[in-house]
Amino acid sequence: MKNIIKIFVVLLLFGVSTSLAQTNEIKVRVDGLSCPFCAYGLEKKLNELEGVENININLEEGLVTLQVKDSVKISEEDIETKIEDAGFTPGEIVYSKKDEQPGKND
Amino acid sequence: MKIVLSLLLIGLFILVSCKNSGDDSKQTVKEWRFQKEIKFDDIAPTGLQTDGEHLWISDAKNNRVIKSDLSGNVLNIYAGIKRPMHLSVYNSKVYVPEYLTDKIKIINGDEIEEFPLKEKPDAPAGVFVNDSLIAIADFYNHRIILQRGNNVLFIGKEGHKKGELYYPTDVSIANNKIYVADAYNNRVQVFDINGNSLKVIGDKDKINVATGIEVTGNNIFVTDFEGSRILIYKLNGELLQIITVHLNKPTDISVYKNVMYVTNFNGSSISIFKKL
Repeated sequence: MKNIIKIFVVLLLFGVSTSLAQTNEIKVRVDGLSCPFCAYGLEKKLNELEGVENININLEEGLVTLQVKDSVKISEEDIETKIEDAGFTPGEIVYSKKDEQPGKND
Repeated sequence: MKIVLSLLLIGLFILVSCKNSGDDSKQTVKEWRFQKEIKFDDIAPTGLQTDGEHLWISDAKNNRVIKSDLSGNVLNIYAGIKRPMHLSVYNSKVYVPEYLTDKIKIINGDEIEEFPLKEKPDAPAGVFVNDSLIAIADFYNHRIILQRGNNVLFIGKEGHKKGELYYPTDVSIANNKIYVADAYNNRVQVFDINGNSLKVIGDKDKINVATGIEVTGNNIFVTDFEGSRILIYKLNGELLQIITVHLNKPTDISVYKNVMYVTNFNGSSISIFKKL
């Protein structure tokens, strides 16, 4: 009976882990993002980084949020280089993990 | 003594009054007056052109170009254009710079085609087309690309001196001259058709990011994005009028006959002004 429960628990955990995919989320503070040509220019430069799946730019807060494939690591240095290419000075960069339900963005 | 003091005060008052009226005279030609504002549902307009019958609006936020009538009733939406910017209408075709892909898209009827560029820009912010050439504001390369058939001419380079550009966002051609919204030099620059620098306009007028430009037979119209203003000049650079009302982070202007349309990037709207 114990074995059956163990197998059941293992299967349950496996099911949960496969239904929740993880993506890396990177938040970057950038000052002076009010002009659309600057903001979308920054988006263009950050899009060149491999593994970036989505970029959200909040003009009012000067906050850029990158969604990155879980298998890809993007260094702070790479992000800072792209921000400087776009004509800005990079601020604080914060990495986090975000659970995503399959089909959430559909 | 009192009489002398009184006379002095009166003289001073007259002097100050004359000085103030002199300052105002710099922009007393208030030819353009606000008429109305057309609201759209959740757009962030960056580019605008009118052909006198329609408004063509680049909605950069939603990656699309909107075609409406002059009252703002949406007639068609062209989706999937990645961050469209300052567009140009010529011969019933709409030329749209696609900021994210460095391409120029052409809306031709219901079809969307691609213009064959000889040189690739880095973030094309504005385009102007006429029967012999295409001019592109090449934002990150700090230059204007002028393509005539197979020939390409680069105008400007990164810098702040006369003839140099710093993040140009829009370009217009009129009277055989090239007019550039030299955005982060906060001014307009004028070049001849061979790329020689002719004139700097607006550098004393405290423009805070000159994002959009329109040139007619008599006037130059410039958007001051951060200042939420429109500045109107004679072709020789003389300031005629500054408009500050009913504007919310304007990015582009289009003038047809006596009507001026202005995009409000933060207002999700188009402001309309008429010439008296």
